[in-house]
Amino acid sequence: MKIQELMKLKNEGTSGLSSRERRQFIKMGFIVTGVYFGGRILSLTSAVEAASSGTVPQEGEYSYSPHYTMVIREQLCIDCERCVEACHSVNDVPGHGRRTKILEKRRPIEYGGFETVFMPILCNHCNRPPCVRVCPTTATYKDEKTGIVVMNHDRCIGCKTCMTACPYNARYFKEEERYVDKCNFCRDTRLAQGELPACVTACPADVRIFGDLTDKKSRVYKLLHTPDTYVWVLRPETGALPNVYYTTA
Amino acid sequence: MKKSLMLTLLCVVMTAVYLVAAENEQKVEYDEDLYGPESLIIWEKPVKGVIFSHKRHTYEAGLDCSDCHDDLFEMMAGAAEEEDNFTMEAMYDGEYCGACHDGGFAFAADTRCTACHIGVRGVNRLENGSEEEGGSH
Repeated sequence: MKIQELMKLKNEGTSGLSSRERRQFIKMGFIVTGVYFGGRILSLTSAVEAASSGTVPQEGEYSYSPHYTMVIREQLCIDCERCVEACHSVNDVPGHGRRTKILEKRRPIEYGGFETVFMPILCNHCNRPPCVRVCPTTATYKDEKTGIVVMNHDRCIGCKTCMTACPYNARYFKEEERYVDKCNFCRDTRLAQGELPACVTACPADVRIFGDLTDKKSRVYKLLHTPDTYVWVLRPETGALPNVYYTTA
Repeated sequence: MKKSLMLTLLCVVMTAVYLVAAENEQKVEYDEDLYGPESLIIWEKPVKGVIFSHKRHTYEAGLDCSDCHDDLFEMMAGAAEEEDNFTMEAMYDGEYCGACHDGGFAFAADTRCTACHIGVRGVNRLENGSEEEGGSH
């Protein structure tokens, strides 16, 4: 029906509606809002529920084994971008794309000029990944064992919904192949061969530390449990429970 | 009458003194023969995006050429970059910048990393004068 015709119609009012019809309408409203409500609280991902009592999960709160984690010693980053270069060559990332990048924060300092802090960012391999929730074809998913957020490129239809859902801007569209690509901690290219992710090995300043958080002897565990240091994650308010930590250690 | 004349005179004298002082305070012109190249040195090896400013060290901080040349650094541009030991480790051992940047004379070489390491982003900003996102290859 056209709007013009609708506008010519007389307002019927609500008196003509039976209470049965009204009730049904209200019920439908409850159902619809209920879906949204439930959807917000019960994530549709297959990810293990992984709420933790603090920024860093405690014993018994690890959702995966190995629970892969990257710890970034932010102040040491010098933006030489060897990590970016290594990532590009190892994972066949095109020039326009980034699986990891370096941002910066600048603040004026007392004797004039600025102090710069470089901030390496990459996929946070969240325990509640918003990208996984929104993918209509389950092309992106949490690896059940390691918790790595993986792409199944064959299933990706290139709708880019995941790119808008990601709180960390960690995905890019690979024009050449028509799919969305992202960091997977070098799962196939290096981890499978027992090697560390390319960016970790390439870093000359020992900024990126990678390992299994459930292993108390690992450097990641030690770095996240060092007294007199401060540990934080990016955008905690999204509730995505990221697995990339930043520290002053 | 006499008093106000004196006061005016005093004012004039004070102003003159102030002006002369201001004149003296105006810094000498930057002379590259005296202070070294005015433009920043940008090192790309062993890591990208490291700067050194002759101006900061000579003209502003008052160091002489001979304080660094030719013992710590060869005079020839790019010579240090070609050395295998142009590393932070060597600086911690008192070589190159580490001779002064030891935490005593100047801030230690293992502190304030980004004061010299301005990174790929920093170099892009210098060269393009833009705030474009870093890491364009």
